[in-house]
Amino acid sequence: MDLVQKEHDRLLKKLRSSQGINSVQATIDLLQSARDAIAAAFRKDPNQAAVTLAKLQNPIKTSFNAINDGLKETHGSLNKYTKSLDKVPRLALGLFQDPHTLCQMDANVRYPDLKLFKDRPLPSTEHDVLSQQESLINRAIAMHLLREGQFSVAASFLSEISEKKALMTSNERSSASPGSPSLLDLDEVPSAEIRKEFASMYYILSQLKERRNLLPAIEWARENREALEARGSNLEFELCRLQFVWLYHGEPDTAGAIPSLIPGNWRAAMAYAKQEFHAFVPRYLREVQQLMGAMAFCPNLPGSPYAAIFNNTSAWEDVAQFFTREFCSLLGLSADSPLYIAATAGAIALPTLLKLQTIMKAKRTEWTSENELPVEIPLPPSYLFHSIFVCPVSKEQATDENPPMMMPCGHVIAEESLKRLSKGSRFKCPYCPNESHMKDARKVFL
Amino acid sequence: MAAELTSIKLNAESHLILDQPLLRVPHELARRNFKSVQRAVEREKEYVIPALKDAANAALSNTQTPDQTLAALDAMIARMQGLKRKMQILQEEEQKIQTQSKKRIQHLEALHQIPSLADVKYDQWSRVRLDRLLVDHMLRSGYSESAKQLAKEREIEDLVDVDVFTQCQRIVQSLHRGDTKEALQWCSENKAALKKSQHNLEFELRLQQFVELVRPQDPLKKIEAISHARKYLVPNHDHDSKELQRAAGMLVFNESTRVEPYKTLFSPDRWKALADLFIRTHHELLSLPSQPLLHIALSAGLSALKTPLCHSAFTSSSSNSQSTTTSVCPICSTELNELARKMPYAHHSKSYVENDPIVLPNGRIYGKARLSTISKNTGSVEPGKVKDPTTGDVYDESETKKVYIM
Repeated sequence: MDLVQKEHDRLLKKLRSSQGINSVQATIDLLQSARDAIAAAFRKDPNQAAVTLAKLQNPIKTSFNAINDGLKETHGSLNKYTKSLDKVPRLALGLFQDPHTLCQMDANVRYPDLKLFKDRPLPSTEHDVLSQQESLINRAIAMHLLREGQFSVAASFLSEISEKKALMTSNERSSASPGSPSLLDLDEVPSAEIRKEFASMYYILSQLKERRNLLPAIEWARENREALEARGSNLEFELCRLQFVWLYHGEPDTAGAIPSLIPGNWRAAMAYAKQEFHAFVPRYLREVQQLMGAMAFCPNLPGSPYAAIFNNTSAWEDVAQFFTREFCSLLGLSADSPLYIAATAGAIALPTLLKLQTIMKAKRTEWTSENELPVEIPLPPSYLFHSIFVCPVSKEQATDENPPMMMPCGHVIAEESLKRLSKGSRFKCPYCPNESHMKDARKVFL
Repeated sequence: MAAELTSIKLNAESHLILDQPLLRVPHELARRNFKSVQRAVEREKEYVIPALKDAANAALSNTQTPDQTLAALDAMIARMQGLKRKMQILQEEEQKIQTQSKKRIQHLEALHQIPSLADVKYDQWSRVRLDRLLVDHMLRSGYSESAKQLAKEREIEDLVDVDVFTQCQRIVQSLHRGDTKEALQWCSENKAALKKSQHNLEFELRLQQFVELVRPQDPLKKIEAISHARKYLVPNHDHDSKELQRAAGMLVFNESTRVEPYKTLFSPDRWKALADLFIRTHHELLSLPSQPLLHIALSAGLSALKTPLCHSAFTSSSSNSQSTTTSVCPICSTELNELARKMPYAHHSKSYVENDPIVLPNGRIYGKARLSTISKNTGSVEPGKVKDPTTGDVYDESETKKVYIM
């Protein structure tokens, strides 16, 4: 990358100092002055023209050569830049097949010679499972845009999709061929309801982040109290606690530079506590007690054991994230945009997959497991969402057909391994001295 | 722990595989631009120098009046001024391309400064990348308005090639309308580069013109078709002459024929095929991958994230929407669930479970700490009991059992 940057800088410098246009101007000047000379002289001395023209030959040639020299130099630096770009590891992306086909690659298929097609991305649309699911991708994109609060972009995206759809259906009608069933189903596009939900989420978040106004968020949490409680979520309490802290500190701009030293809004905070906290007492007794206890330290909170609650700089960010997560979860959606996570994971996975593809091509090996990637992809731990169970005996991942089974001793192996080990009779657990029977094992859910 | 460290290490060089077109496209444009400068200069040189020589010779032998000499000089000056104007335009274009390249290099360079995938900066960088991929996808699908808007909102106009794709789309649409003019013009602009292409776009376009001339079954048009074929098809043709024979064969068939290959040649679907061929050739010339980058990233990403649990008939204990403290898995989320259905799932060689797993009487496994937090936060659960966050069943703590997962 450094090399690319260096070469590009050099190229820029060269372009800036390029004399091309000046040389052209010089040529024009030469021609113009010759013309003037001839025009002035031709009445007196017609031969003058011939002399001037003859004299002109060489300078014009030289100036053209100068232009060409300049161009050559530019060409040289362009080429150097090309070379530096070529040095960046460049895998033939066009050859990349999606993992789906990667799994089903078999040795009989002949792959085009890599070298021959190195710079020519091959059309691999027939392998591209995703291309057939254009509408699903578009739906995911529309949802992503809504999630990110890009409502106007989302709106024009959706209208462009429906325009294209209208065009396609009219085309289909005009050409008598029935064609494939409608490619874009409007049902696939996020409904107006979801759009509204995201709009309200965005409103609440912007109030929260920009204006430190928790009230819309608290109101939302109240409305969904039951659903939140069923999830064991304490969002409402967290919001109210932050509201209390905020009231205590007072408006940052009115309280001045050191708000925590001026407990002017102590009363407001206490009034809020009286009004709201009684509902929380049964569940959050300890936390409420902490808040009330902190009030006793009122003039000197930073020195009290409760300082952490009141001086948490990331509190607003945390609460905003917490709120987003709960809001999306109630809609059955993940907190961060799935499209973002999947694309990022894809970028992390690509080098490994491409390497695998090259190796498989070179060795013409076969991968038999149809639904599983042939290689482990090192994703950061934050990209692991589910628990993973790999049977310690067979080293296979548990699936619906081959679920994890727990033996009475508490060790878990996959069902198939269990069957193989027991052969219908009592058997010893592979990990401890306990013996058990097939029928004692229980299916577990991770 | 060591494995964890390696998995969050960011290897920028290999991480940029998806971003190759970012530098390639402006570079190809710059080269093309440079070639047009070169061509223009060459053309003027070939005109001016001989013209000057002729003028000098003519003046010497007195076969030309002074007015004629002056007129010849004026013509030369006018042409040179034309060249200067052209070069100025191209130079501005060049400047624009190169500033764009510079911004892109800086953007890619920024990634090299980020040490780990867990870094906040990587998160930001990756979001910009996603926006780029989205714009790329929109442009390729022909949603240029949304693409422009998104690029503007996210201030990444220098990182996406809106103009390139808009031009491409315009030509594609003209082909869909049954018009070869713009595509042919594009071919002549890129003549030199097209010679290396494995697709013979120009021949196919000319063949289509020929088909359109034959289609009306008008004798006069047929004569025109034959001369068209002589002029464009024969010299343009270099591989096998089967195509030419077929074209000649077409003259005796009409549109309603059921004889192959003439039926396909007459078919209006050929326009669509031409548009596809154009897109392929166009992308190839600019080193653009044939599928949207978003598809490449997604297909890799979906598989990397997918687990057998994502499309399982049983609700997973981990990462479902009913329990807090874990977030919903992106593959289980409605946006991507259907899309990932046909994808293979990721390979894992080690189990990965929450700390201190315990099993409930209904067979569900949870981390002990998480389960007690959830139970505590749910108002209705008495102390000493735990609540299954997935099914809502309440059990006594003594009913839970430690489970060993290796």
